[in-house]
Amino acid sequence: MFIENDPYFVHCVKTINVHVRNKRMLIGIPLENNKPDVRKPKDCAAEMAAHMDRVAKERCKASFAKIFGYFAPRLRSYALKQMGNEAIAMELVQDTMSNVWQKAHLFNAEKGSPSTWIFTIARNIRFDMLRKLRNRKEDVCSDDMWPILCEQTADPKEKSLDEKITLQQVGELFNELPLKQKAVIEAIYIEGKSQQEVADELNIPLGTVKSRTRLALQRLKDMLETHD
Amino acid sequence: MIKFHPNNQQLSEFSSGVMSPTESLIVSAHCDMCVKCSRKISLYTESNTNEAFNDSPDAESEHAFGSMLFDITSQQIDKGIARESSTKVLELDGRQFTLPRSLNRFAASIGNWSHLVGKIWQAPVNIGGDTVANFIFMEKGGSVPEHTHRGTEMTLVVNGEFSDGLADYDSGDFMVMDEKHVHTPVATSDEGCLVFSIVDKPLHFTSGWARLINPFSHLFFK
Repeated sequence: MFIENDPYFVHCVKTINVHVRNKRMLIGIPLENNKPDVRKPKDCAAEMAAHMDRVAKERCKASFAKIFGYFAPRLRSYALKQMGNEAIAMELVQDTMSNVWQKAHLFNAEKGSPSTWIFTIARNIRFDMLRKLRNRKEDVCSDDMWPILCEQTADPKEKSLDEKITLQQVGELFNELPLKQKAVIEAIYIEGKSQQEVADELNIPLGTVKSRTRLALQRLKDMLETHD
Repeated sequence: MIKFHPNNQQLSEFSSGVMSPTESLIVSAHCDMCVKCSRKISLYTESNTNEAFNDSPDAESEHAFGSMLFDITSQQIDKGIARESSTKVLELDGRQFTLPRSLNRFAASIGNWSHLVGKIWQAPVNIGGDTVANFIFMEKGGSVPEHTHRGTEMTLVVNGEFSDGLADYDSGDFMVMDEKHVHTPVATSDEGCLVFSIVDKPLHFTSGWARLINPFSHLFFK
């Protein structure tokens, strides 16, 4: 049960500590790779969503370390810019990441990316911190306006857990599709465009859109079957 | 149909969390009622996220990220208590009004309805701070005497329609009035009109007998 003993987790923590010691912000990057994680949030959204899922379902500390490694330094920069004080900035990082750890199950990949969810948590904490720091007496808190961290009572209209897992899996498999097929599937199934609109937008014949859609769906179906 | 929205600057300030708490509350309540503005909020939030996270952070630090990670993952998981997500209802004279989600928590702290002037009813909402929030109900034909504002008055139409000589307003409309605006709100529809209003200074009545109220308008303000 003690994941602190998990070699991968220990490795992540060591990596972070070594880099902090070296005063280089290369958190979460394995030692043998010295480049900082310069990817933009949207470029690692699928990867981070998968980590979020493992934190939510298994309390996976290694996955959380990955999320932490990517977001904690970025949150610190954001908080420093906003609050202008290192101690308060670090408090904001700590509160935000604690919430990510505690409330990962409230993250819904269908509603948005992990980066937007995490940013929203930080924005809310900042809003409430600022109110306290300014000694404002208003009885208005971030939960009133942005209730993203409120546990909701079960809604019968919500999709069943099984269905969610399948959607999650499809999301992961989807990323393995060839780029051209991915673009078409994304436009049709995620953005809700018609095949004709996609054809116009990508400047390719309608027939090509149709065949790419068919190929992609067949491929996803095959992948799902071999996955089970 | 909603015609009056917060402007883009207000929406942007609201979504980045730099707007004052009370103004945020009423803008948020408008967004609960307005698909168009809530879409804009999503876009602003998206772009704020990119702005905050796109650049890779500076390579200098003395901070204890390692121990922070360890501390957080050592925390017990606190499952939290599920909150009822039911919408709250405001009752007045046997009628029920559904409130925008952002105002739900305040439904419990609404004071008694009191008769203001003419066919106007008012119930205070305790939101703390230096501003005063009220639900105001105008019966059909009910009218607030012509007035202007020493400070700022923000109004959200929760249910119904009214006109004020400047424009016609419908459910969901959001307005900000200040000393540049002189108006006389009148409820025009049979159902009357319920609005949520936040003011930071007393109203200033500008015509007829109502001017006599001015020295006492702080009584209406509180």
